Amino acid sequence: MKALFAERKTTSTKELLRTLSNRVEEQIKLAVEKFQNLPEAALKTPAANGGWSAAQCLEHLNTYGVHYLPAIEKGILSNQGMPGNAAFRNSRLGQYFSDLMKPNSGSKMKAAAKHVPAFDIDTYSVVAEFIRQQETMLRLLRKAENTDLNNIKIPISISTLIKLPLGDVFQFIVAHDTRHILQAMKVLELQPEYAKDFGNP
Amino acid sequence: MPVSEYHSALRELISTTVPLSDVEWTKISSIWHIHTAGRKEILTSAGDHEKYLYFVAEGIQRVFYLDDLNREATIVFTYPPSFGGVIDSMALGIVSKYYFETLTPSVFLRANYNDFKQLSTSIPTINTFINKGVMQTLSGVIERLVEVQCYTSEQRFKTLLRRSPHILNLIPHKYIANYLSIDATNFSKLLNKVQF
Repeated sequence: MKALFAERKTTSTKELLRTLSNRVEEQIKLAVEKFQNLPEAALKTPAANGGWSAAQCLEHLNTYGVHYLPAIEKGILSNQGMPGNAAFRNSRLGQYFSDLMKPNSGSKMKAAAKHVPAFDIDTYSVVAEFIRQQETMLRLLRKAENTDLNNIKIPISISTLIKLPLGDVFQFIVAHDTRHILQAMKVLELQPEYAKDFGNP
Repeated sequence: MPVSEYHSALRELISTTVPLSDVEWTKISSIWHIHTAGRKEILTSAGDHEKYLYFVAEGIQRVFYLDDLNREATIVFTYPPSFGGVIDSMALGIVSKYYFETLTPSVFLRANYNDFKQLSTSIPTINTFINKGVMQTLSGVIERLVEVQCYTSEQRFKTLLRRSPHILNLIPHKYIANYLSIDATNFSKLLNKVQF
């Protein structure tokens, strides 16, 4: 029900895509500078409370990318030639999902079964796939510059019956990525040899 | 960084090959213009004619070949201070068989190659510069052929990281593995095994 009361916001398409691209760029930089150079053991160490390891956090994100990135590509391609729109207005549901993802939202969610990462995973493949997806995301954000983010509708990963405007999906994915990257950094920060790299400056 | 510093870096690089007077430099610098690009932007595509000679001021790029099965072969990485672009397409005026793309956000000074060649009529040392540049590139290509044909994957890995140790923290490892013709699994094993 909260979704019905989420406050809708209107933003400039250009500004929104620039903000999201900057965030993705930061995430790629972090993955390239730090994550991909960590030993397997560091990435596989579970959180102190027995929660996901850093690699599992990234794998969780990868399961979303597998669904959303091809769906976004398809959505943009199928709208080629259609008029763009300089403004984007969040849908109530989209705004609700994005708000839920904010690190300070206080919300705790259980991942849907298809998005729960396995325990024993190949950490290097996971990090490589994460970086590949982030690069793809950056390319798609660029590709979306002259589109109408309100009109392109993308089915969500847990039910293809529900579709959200592309602008909402972009915001949700980036907010969700940020949330779990922070989670991965916290897991690494608690390992003494990496506290300096991942702790607060 | 101010554009004037990029121009100073360019002058310094050219001056390592040929001496330049202030008058010559003034003429040369006038044809180089700033160009910026984000991560993973294609600057030249296969099928294009390469129009520009790039001076890499910031960032890392690669030239790669894409075959009919969509397999990539990374031919060369470029990073500051060096020149970039698809040089055979540019110098011979032929269609590029390769792609030139950024791997990180990048800043260049770039000059239209025809303008650059044109300057050689009034500044003959430009031809010397081009000849030396081609010879250095050829030398690099021969060295790489030896590495590809004679070295083990571990030797190729160590050689690259001796030459460019910083690259591990700057670009995704998949591009380095691709350049070295090492599959991703073996690359990660080497990364754990080889200490620097």
